[in-house]
Amino acid sequence: MKKAIYNSRWYVLAALVLILGIVPLMGDQYLLFFCMLFFLYLALAQMWNLLAGYSGLISLGQQSFVGMGGYVVAVMSNYYGVYIWLGVLLGGVFSALLGLFMSLFIFRMKGVYFAIGTWIFSEALLIWFSNWEYTKYGMGLFIKPNPNISMTEIYYASLIVGVGSVALVYGILRSKLGLGLMAMRDDEAVSETMGVEVFRSKLYCFLIGAFVTGSTAGILYIFQVFIQPYKAFAIDWTVKLVFIVIIGGIGTLEGPIVGAFVFVLLSQTLAEYFSVSMLILGAIAILVILIAPKGIMGTLQEKLGFEILSPRRK
Amino acid sequence: MVDILAVNLLTKTFGRLRAVDSLTFEVREGEILGVMGPNGAGKTTLFNLLTGVYKPDEGDIQYQGKDISHESPAKRCRRGIGRTYQIPRPFDKLTVFENLLVGAVHGGGLSEKRARGKVQDILNLIGLMSKTDHFAGSLPLLDRKTLELGRALATQPTLILLDEIAGGLTEKEATKVLGIVRKISEQGITIVWIEHLLMMMAEGADRLLAISEGRWLQCGDPKEVMNSTEVLDGYLGAEEE
Repeated sequence: MKKAIYNSRWYVLAALVLILGIVPLMGDQYLLFFCMLFFLYLALAQMWNLLAGYSGLISLGQQSFVGMGGYVVAVMSNYYGVYIWLGVLLGGVFSALLGLFMSLFIFRMKGVYFAIGTWIFSEALLIWFSNWEYTKYGMGLFIKPNPNISMTEIYYASLIVGVGSVALVYGILRSKLGLGLMAMRDDEAVSETMGVEVFRSKLYCFLIGAFVTGSTAGILYIFQVFIQPYKAFAIDWTVKLVFIVIIGGIGTLEGPIVGAFVFVLLSQTLAEYFSVSMLILGAIAILVILIAPKGIMGTLQEKLGFEILSPRRK
Repeated sequence: MVDILAVNLLTKTFGRLRAVDSLTFEVREGEILGVMGPNGAGKTTLFNLLTGVYKPDEGDIQYQGKDISHESPAKRCRRGIGRTYQIPRPFDKLTVFENLLVGAVHGGGLSEKRARGKVQDILNLIGLMSKTDHFAGSLPLLDRKTLELGRALATQPTLILLDEIAGGLTEKEATKVLGIVRKISEQGITIVWIEHLLMMMAEGADRLLAISEGRWLQCGDPKEVMNSTEVLDGYLGAEEE
């Protein structure tokens, strides 16, 4: 019975994606907005989870790629009239190139130094962009999409990156790279003496994470219309991603899905009480860490063996 | 017999401690070379040097005629050097099957499809067929030790470094492990074996290398090495203290 339910999971997931695909037809603008935010945060969090949960890379600088993705879309669209979705892809490419440049320095660091290194890069970018005439200093840029696009198009783009990010991480974990990552997660030094190329695996994940984060941020900023360095390169982005992954379950594929849903639900519910909303979110995160340190899905996996998207080999 | 591994004047220091001190020896293809020495003699440091966990301060390591002294642990593994750890270090959150699969795919360079067949053979050899889907973190000591052996074997090695594979086991369990080591040796795989149980060394090893304070003491026939004055002074004397 249990096996039959497990085997039918692909049909259930396909049905779920189909239902999410017809949300724009339902005419409920709030639901559309909610689902869109959920997909975008899911993609961003899934990438942070790939780094922190599987590759042992605690990045505090994901905002570097958020800002880069957003600015590339704005600049390409406003200054060069580049087709908006191509701009989104270019945002991902530029973010990956930025990641490659960052890796020359931060991959010489480990643990907390790596985390601080990524953060320093994002702060440097913040200062750079807020003093750069080309991007209108700290005043920021209004994004003028080419051509004008509807909310429905933005929704479908979000759906693609949200579902795509889950499929991508699942695919990675089922691959040779993923098998190595799971070994690294348990014992990096031993995995290396068993032939796993630790440095290369980490670099691949960092670049993949940068690309997806940059592209996702491009979509997010098309929706937000306006980009400004103090928001785009703020550490708040990474704090939100850490919250999502910690409460959902770090190192699990389903964790960011649950975490992103909880985060968007709470942040929307508490939107009216903005001054205390971060306090409440912080208190929830601490509570989850104390009661279920492995997050919601991590605890369910441990206690009940509950997994929907298992990368396990049998 | 041809030398598969040659260690020349290998030295590793930690601060003022010379953990391995100008050590020179060779390992012949297909043999079981036992390595003995008191605690702190530098045996595990030697394994860490051979597998690339540590880089040597002086000297070099020639493997199948190539200088591998500065190669990464992963590259050395793919060249055919597998190892086990004194205190088993399985990938706890992976199953027994997946632990072996990591070795076969990454170290052995097999596709996952081909690796599956190889892993089944190894599971049969080490007697863990019934625990394929068990998480490695939940296994008792004997199974963790045999998993260490299996995992090293999965990397398709030509040389395996065994670090006290029988340590902490009962006599019956140690005999079982010795049986597996013999089967591995029969496959033509060269073995370098650190062990504190000297009787096991006398029974299992073709030659014995004795070291003390990181330095070469004696190398040769196990019984002769065990009875030599240098070893009795440097090793057994230290044990009695």
